[in-house]
Amino acid sequence: MTRNERGSEPGAVMVVDDEAMVVGAIQGFLELETDHRVLPFTSPKAALERLRDDPVQTIIADLMMPEMDGVEFLTQARELRPEATRILLTGYADKENAIRAINEAGLYQYIEKPWDNDALAVAIRNGVERSRLFRDLNERIRQLEEAHEELTGLRERWIHAFL
Amino acid sequence: MSVPVGGEATAREITQARLATLGTLVAGIAHELNTPMGALSSNHQTIERALLKLGEILEDEVVTPDELDEVRRVVRATESVLRTNRIAVDRMKNLVKNLRNFGRPTASMARPVDLHEGLEGTLVLLGHALKEIEVVRDFGDLPRVVCHPNRLNQVFMNLVHNAAQATPAGGSLTIRTRTEGDRVRIRVLDTGRGIAPDDIGKIFEPGFTTKGGRIGMGLGLAIVLQIVHQHGGEISVESKLGQGTTFDVLLPLRHPGESAEEEVSHATP
Repeated sequence: MTRNERGSEPGAVMVVDDEAMVVGAIQGFLELETDHRVLPFTSPKAALERLRDDPVQTIIADLMMPEMDGVEFLTQARELRPEATRILLTGYADKENAIRAINEAGLYQYIEKPWDNDALAVAIRNGVERSRLFRDLNERIRQLEEAHEELTGLRERWIHAFL
Repeated sequence: MSVPVGGEATAREITQARLATLGTLVAGIAHELNTPMGALSSNHQTIERALLKLGEILEDEVVTPDELDEVRRVVRATESVLRTNRIAVDRMKNLVKNLRNFGRPTASMARPVDLHEGLEGTLVLLGHALKEIEVVRDFGDLPRVVCHPNRLNQVFMNLVHNAAQATPAGGSLTIRTRTEGDRVRIRVLDTGRGIAPDDIGKIFEPGFTTKGGRIGMGLGLAIVLQIVHQHGGEISVESKLGQGTTFDVLLPLRHPGESAEEEVSHATP
């Protein structure tokens, strides 16, 4: 697996904003400076469709979109991809809404427009890592549960064998 | 403070209302500029880094095929970032253009004006507040109306802003313009939460507000009424709770009292 300049494994990053210039700017930056795979969308509905068959590690979404607001979008995205890290992008005046959204939709963090590319890159990198840890943790839990079931079965067979 | 419907606002109230409109305008501009500015500032950083990268590759006497591929990739990506810049810059230019039309200083005399320009400007400057509702422009064929455009823009700003605040996401705002004989009718119709029957008779009174209701309504609408009267026009409102509100502004094509001067100074087509 290749490593990007910032020293971590690249992932798939979905960017959703109804403003093409915002999506274009973030996409351009990520493609030039990181090895993340970028999935750009100006329609949150189309983005949700894509999430059904494409696992992504980090989702960045604008708060105010005509089709569906960012909180609603990220809430639905969580149902489809619980392991993906979700980041809200907001205008400066939406701070109160953003904080409410973080609490209500259980978001990882929000980033204010205008954003700083380096800060955004760090948030995305952390998001990708967090998503992988989340997935690994679930995998471990699943393995432990399997092992536990196996042991329980074994114990029952032993008890049957001796009684 | 409460005066009967149609009572004139005091000078202090007029100033307060102008400031409130200005506040709305400034918040709108800040919000509208923020998105293209965000894209531009990000792109600026990106292009700087891209140039740095190209510079590093080209510093060597020999450029390897791999490096050449990287140069091509960087150039392609930079081109795409520059296209985004174009969109952002155009958006900002359009905003400033609308702002200039909007805020032209008060001329002492009324002049013939295309009201659709002011309505469009209002919609651009309040774009952030209208993002989650559908805006319908049902514009008819209007002749130029002799008026003070910056004052009428204050009327449009108030009516559209109120409608935006009263209308939840998914609702709609319709602006309908028609000529009716020697008058024009501008209708601002929303599908918002409406005004309570007990309140509707008081909304044009200076100082009337509905706390937790339609923000900025009190002073804003008192001034709206005053400006419309100054233009020899009328304003009426209809509203149903939970269904929406319609404001109708009727304006004569010629500004009363100033029409004589108008005919001398402006040869209207």
